[in-house]
Amino acid sequence: MKVVIVGNGIAGNEVALHLREHGPRADDIDITILSAERFPEYDPCSLPYFVGGEVDRDAVFRKSPDYYRNSRINLVLDNKAVSIDPEAREVKTEKGDVFGYDSLVLAHGGSLFIPPIPGIDLDGVFSCKVLAEADRLAGHRGSRAVVIGSGAIGIEAAEALKLKGYQVAIIELLDWIMPTLFCEGASCFLADEMRRYGIEVYTSEKVLAIEGKSSVKSVKTDKREIPCDTVVVATGVVPGRPLAETAGIACERGILVNDRMLTSAADIYACGDCVQTFDAVSGEDCMYQLKHNAIEQARIAARNILGEDARYRGAYPFARAHYFDTHAVTFGKTLKGLEKICRPEQVGVIERDTEQGYLRLLLKDGKIAGGQAIGAFADHAGLFMGFMWRGVDMNEFKKNWRKIGELDSVFPWQYRKIGQVLGFSALDAPDGMEKARV
Amino acid sequence: MALKEERVIVIDPGKCAGCHSCEMACAMKHFGVCHPYYSRIRIQEFRNVNTFVPITCQACEDAACIKVCPMNARIRLGSGAVVTDEDKCIGCRACVYACPFGAPVIHPDTGKTMSCDLCMDDELGPWCVKACTMQQALKFVDVRDAARAKGRDFAAMLKEQHEPPHQEETEFSFSFSVE
Repeated sequence: MKVVIVGNGIAGNEVALHLREHGPRADDIDITILSAERFPEYDPCSLPYFVGGEVDRDAVFRKSPDYYRNSRINLVLDNKAVSIDPEAREVKTEKGDVFGYDSLVLAHGGSLFIPPIPGIDLDGVFSCKVLAEADRLAGHRGSRAVVIGSGAIGIEAAEALKLKGYQVAIIELLDWIMPTLFCEGASCFLADEMRRYGIEVYTSEKVLAIEGKSSVKSVKTDKREIPCDTVVVATGVVPGRPLAETAGIACERGILVNDRMLTSAADIYACGDCVQTFDAVSGEDCMYQLKHNAIEQARIAARNILGEDARYRGAYPFARAHYFDTHAVTFGKTLKGLEKICRPEQVGVIERDTEQGYLRLLLKDGKIAGGQAIGAFADHAGLFMGFMWRGVDMNEFKKNWRKIGELDSVFPWQYRKIGQVLGFSALDAPDGMEKARV
Repeated sequence: MALKEERVIVIDPGKCAGCHSCEMACAMKHFGVCHPYYSRIRIQEFRNVNTFVPITCQACEDAACIKVCPMNARIRLGSGAVVTDEDKCIGCRACVYACPFGAPVIHPDTGKTMSCDLCMDDELGPWCVKACTMQQALKFVDVRDAARAKGRDFAAMLKEQHEPPHQEETEFSFSFSVE
């Protein structure tokens, strides 16, 4: 069997790794990875930490060149796949090479969205999505930086540059930073924390132009002009569709896949940042371009290639943000995201704001659909995610919480812990010893 | 996939008395200090119901912490244990938040995470298990025996519940002297 994987990122390598480790006829599988870049696999999530000097450049790599040799994976570097012929089962690359396949995996991810701003091609404008760009940014000497866009990459890039001693400003078009990940309350808290560390945060501002003759001199928004010598563009990732479109594969925002990660063409799978899939909790179409989703999708694709009938449970957002000593986490839907997909009476919010931290849980029909936590509450985020997966009705839970021990002797301790975290114990005075243990 | 020959720490919360000896043993083994903050095993206390649950890394087969770590610092060892590579960890705590148990622990000095490595460099086995010999709430068993042992314990418990042990009349003889 010949498997060709387009893309040497996290999803592509996970497919290759899974095929090698779990394939019953593993040694018969001929695996080829086509990469548009010149490096062995690295992790884009770790690039900001390399730019900020927290880790060495070596730490961003997930694989060494030896790994590919030892695993008998044919790695083709710096040779971008440009077209697919699904009839002949062939992939063509820009250097004119042709690779035949039995199964093809599209895992080439996305490319950075470059907003149509005048001056975007000036010297001193960087991104932080691919290693080559991160290398340039890490080697750049500047003193004032402006980060355009406040998604996960933008926030981390801002922190990295601050650590390097830059004066940093971050500009967000929408009303608050990280608008797709956090609700307004948590986001404003984080923005205040960033300001406390000396990062300027401007929200509801539109960048009109990047000024300068050959290199960047300033960034002009609709409200102000910020002098700077470095600009980092972090305005989101566009899924790579052109390659799939050469094969006539159905695409919307991203490549469309079913719950087996199979595209509309036979034996062509897709996974990672380039696919459009469904939300694990609500079932709506979504694109959460996050690492854990890429890994899970890649495993599903690999298992199906091996002939298993593996179904994807759906994508879910999970992200964390940390600025120096403030830690925050978010999972699932935000309030805004939830309001888009259900009626107002279906939405519920549980909020806790104490000296130790902040917690907000978003409920859909009484079940947890998402949440955000800062500080001490964040340590229990995993327990709340467990509740989200199990679909526990929070109203029922609150009613029965004190009786948990009596309900079922094998009730997991997490149930009791969550009641404790949410402060149910303060409402109900201890009632002597309960018979059964959790 | 067949289970590998691995040994795991099996926790029986029903037997835990909340003495925190396991925490002390862990801190002693790894850092040479007797302080629960340095322990990779932690006891969740539910004092009003007198219940204590030791929490340690379960080395999940499909571990969430490995998937979410931005630095790929969470790694699975040959022994099956999942640990943090301290050279790569940046202390972002993604693994703590993603863990369904909240098992990874933050080192109080470095801010990096750490989790159970099964004391793999000690042939006597994990120190926490040794510290729990009295209570037997922690056991270090072959992963293939773990489920079987659990079933056996449960059957024994049911038996006990349904037929109370026969009370034999025993003659006690006390001998003590009053001075």
